[in-house]
Amino acid sequence: MKKIFVFLTLMLFVVGAVAGCGGAKEKVELTVSAAASLQDVTGELKEIYEKQHSGVTITYNLASSGALQQQIEQGAPADLFISAGKSQMDALAGKGLIVDSSRKDLLGNELVLVAGKDSALTGFEGLTDASVKRISTGDPDTVPAGQYAKETLTSLKLWDQLQPKMVPAKDVRQVLTYVETGDVEAGLVYRTDAAISKDVKIVAAAPAGSNKPIVYPMAVIKSTKNQKEAEAFAAFLQSDDAVKVFEKYGFKVLK
Amino acid sequence: MFAQLTDWYPVLLSVRVAVIATVVVTCLGLPVSRLLARGEFFGKDVLEAVITLPLVLPPSVVGYGLLILIGKNGLLGKMLAELGVTLIFTWWAAVIASTVVAFPLMYQSAKAAFKSVDINFEKAARTLGASELRIFFTITLPLAWPGILAGLVLTFARALGEFGATLMVAGNIPGQTQTIPLAIYFAVGAGKNEMARTLVAVITVFSFIVIYWVNRWAKKHQN
Amino acid sequence: MLEVRISKKLWHFNLELEVKIDNQILVLWGPSGAGKTTTLHCLAGLLKPSDGFIKLNAQVLFSSDEKIDVPTRLRNVGYLFQNYALFPHMTVRQNVLYGLRGKRRAGTSGVDAVELLNSFGVGHLIERYPGQLSGGERQRVALARALVVQPQLLLLDEPFSALDKSTRESLRQEVKKLHRQWKIPFVLVSHDEEDAQFLGDLIVSLENGRFRGDSLQAVSVQ
Repeated sequence: MKKIFVFLTLMLFVVGAVAGCGGAKEKVELTVSAAASLQDVTGELKEIYEKQHSGVTITYNLASSGALQQQIEQGAPADLFISAGKSQMDALAGKGLIVDSSRKDLLGNELVLVAGKDSALTGFEGLTDASVKRISTGDPDTVPAGQYAKETLTSLKLWDQLQPKMVPAKDVRQVLTYVETGDVEAGLVYRTDAAISKDVKIVAAAPAGSNKPIVYPMAVIKSTKNQKEAEAFAAFLQSDDAVKVFEKYGFKVLK
Repeated sequence: MFAQLTDWYPVLLSVRVAVIATVVVTCLGLPVSRLLARGEFFGKDVLEAVITLPLVLPPSVVGYGLLILIGKNGLLGKMLAELGVTLIFTWWAAVIASTVVAFPLMYQSAKAAFKSVDINFEKAARTLGASELRIFFTITLPLAWPGILAGLVLTFARALGEFGATLMVAGNIPGQTQTIPLAIYFAVGAGKNEMARTLVAVITVFSFIVIYWVNRWAKKHQN
Repeated sequence: MLEVRISKKLWHFNLELEVKIDNQILVLWGPSGAGKTTTLHCLAGLLKPSDGFIKLNAQVLFSSDEKIDVPTRLRNVGYLFQNYALFPHMTVRQNVLYGLRGKRRAGTSGVDAVELLNSFGVGHLIERYPGQLSGGERQRVALARALVVQPQLLLLDEPFSALDKSTRESLRQEVKKLHRQWKIPFVLVSHDEEDAQFLGDLIVSLENGRFRGDSLQAVSVQ
């Protein structure tokens, strides 16, 4: 008797799990590969959009832009790609993997220097001080924020000098964690990331022109099976409703 | 490809980290699993659950936990800082990360191995005047050896491939803490596919040789 | 001289034993589960009685009143386990010599291991592994291993149960002869009536008191 009960319960779980997948054919699932720095704002946007469009579910794939680019190149199924850097999008365009007409520069951001709340750091020059033992930025080869950080520090003639103190991270979130826990004395992140964290303070903004303009290009992936829905979501991201949300999180919206 | 000598650094570092982690795991793991295999004491189940935790948690979660523990402001980190020791962002952090994630593997293998040793052998040895330590080294350990060897291989393999926790606490500092798995990840992310492929080949061949050779040796030893 | 008065709380009943023997063979007789092996374990120090005392010659091995509990390895009590427990990864030689390592044993006008094995008729097997021996051979090696350290008491747990009838009978004779030679008390556990009758200078029968909390009745035979 007990065995039958256990068996039935298990079957119920299996059926439930299977039913969870597949589901009604009418619901479209959009996979949006987005840069890690968009982690928080995307949550709110998803809620708004899904409320207005009950037939669509948005699934986010958040990672560093370099990793996302690699995934798409290797054929990972994504419908929309929002990168934190131009070069990753250019690479995909060069390989013919995006719908060129859908490419738009969606957002802008600013690079800032952050430190722990109790830090005595006052600016970029202070980074060479002995009291600053470790600095973290994204890995310049894979993380756009890291590339911008390298550009800024190079233009300030600090890049080579600071190399021994550098801890390259796999994305901006990791940089934030290091600064928050006090394991590095300073980090370079986007202004939007610094705004989210309660345990860090912005010491200074990257001087204007010290790095290439930080632009978040967006494009529909050519291999998408849901082109119409992807384009509709992309249009939504440029709508007034979305703009309000982006600006709330500190992003610059490009028109 | 592996043009410069420095390109070999991740390989040497990974092997060094994996070997040390395996040694540490063995020295700590064998006594602990021996104790929990036979002993009954208050809190035993809780201890076991804690030991097994890194096995079920994602490595990045383990990494974050370690960061909080041995980071500059962590409980242990602060104490060590007083002694002038910093673990974070050094290859020792990589050793710690590998040790923590591999420990439950050795623990489970060893515990099963110890349990499989007929307790009458240990009792007989006791009546013949042997101390517990002598019994452990002359009776229990030799009879449990095949299971423990399996644990050793698992531990080494896990330590060699550790990524998530290592990335958190050791960081990916080329020439200092960049192990093979980290090097592969960042090579792929940067589009350096050839380098990535070479590293993957190296680690696969190396692991294969180690596992094959250890199993051959174990079989010979059995007879 | 072995003096025992112990009680031990077991699953369903209380084991109680009170017995005093000289250099005799004491047989604990009864069906399985009655607590015979537990008794042997208590004598050897592998289990702790709830209450009582165990005195072997001049030494108190256990006393609940005086809070004495000598650990097994210091009791100098030989134990022949039911399945002999010969170390499978060691040769006969290594098995028998195992107890002789350590300062306590060395230097005493010791019994030579090889001679002992020869006297049991298994000397030629000295380089073999236990897995290569027959049941009777294993039993004799196990006996040699237990005796070579010159124990003051020998415990035997169902020493003949794994053997066939003819081996059983000849080994029974050997055990009796052994006892007369070694002049130490033997405590032998068996469920076989013939074993008890043949070997026991003193037989204690364990009633199946699992649910009735019986204590033992010492019955002296001959």
